[in-house]
Amino acid sequence: MNRQEAASFQPAAPQRAELWRGARAALPIMIGFVPFALVLGAQARLKQFSLLDVPLMTGLNFGGGSEFAAVGLWTSPPHIALIVGITFLVNSRHLLMGAALAPYLSRVPRRKVLCFLFFMCDETWALSLADARKHGFSLAYYMGVSLGLYLSWLVGTTIGAAIGPVLGDVTRYGFDMAFPAVFFVLLRGMWKGVYSALPWAVTLGVAITAYVLLPKGWYVPLGALSGALTAWVLAKP
Amino acid sequence: MTILTILLMAFVTYCTRIGGYWLLNGRHISLRTAKVMEVAPGCVLVAVLAPDFASGKGADLLALAVTALAATRCSLLVTVLVGVGSGWLLRQVIPF
Repeated sequence: MNRQEAASFQPAAPQRAELWRGARAALPIMIGFVPFALVLGAQARLKQFSLLDVPLMTGLNFGGGSEFAAVGLWTSPPHIALIVGITFLVNSRHLLMGAALAPYLSRVPRRKVLCFLFFMCDETWALSLADARKHGFSLAYYMGVSLGLYLSWLVGTTIGAAIGPVLGDVTRYGFDMAFPAVFFVLLRGMWKGVYSALPWAVTLGVAITAYVLLPKGWYVPLGALSGALTAWVLAKP
Repeated sequence: MTILTILLMAFVTYCTRIGGYWLLNGRHISLRTAKVMEVAPGCVLVAVLAPDFASGKGADLLALAVTALAATRCSLLVTVLVGVGSGWLLRQVIPF
């Protein structure tokens, strides 16, 4: 990804068609979101969230990983500093993601970018960047993906909150495996041969160790950082 | 208290979303940095998956392996179905 490549993007198709193309690309992930959304909404209710608190959190925060961590750590009343700190740690990956996206956004007005970035999540980011490498970056495509996923997450978590405890333990049915399944497919698209293999292996080792030994929330930044560090060493000029 | 916590969560999350763009927009990115940024998102996804690998249950680990294998050759929808199906089936068959 260099500046020339990023700057050469052309609005190839009409905006509306691009929006739909994004929404279509998001559809399998929207379906994949549903079981998580249901579980998160239901769990939040068990932790004394009101029916309105749930869409308030998932709609304003819109970061599944951080919301699962927050609900897991939630007490009544909540430890604000702990929850907010964990949220930052889990979502710190957005800093890297936003930086990687920045060259593609250099021609978009800043105010617009600041609105659009509100919707950036792992899946939106990965899909848009993969698409940008093929066709050039398309903001309408990005928004199509974003709105699809946002809607799915917001509606799914609200339904989960509404049906709540009736759902019971969904891990029994294997629905929780949808999450790694989505990630495995996303990882396939990010595969860069040996350049990714070693950093990912290091990440997995460090993250598992950190998850077992350290408080919740540390394994994501520590794992990702160790992997990035490995990539840094491998990319020595 | 709940509302305040949620609002603060939303605020720090939004900061992480605009932070990378804000800090790095318009700056030259070296080839090495670009390489790291190419690999880093995969690292994040792998790290987020760590708890699944750390469950210590044979059925879960086997289901993860089956799902990963499916991901190398199938579409997303098929992979999700294989994941959920193998997760459900293996947990019935393997009790540990």
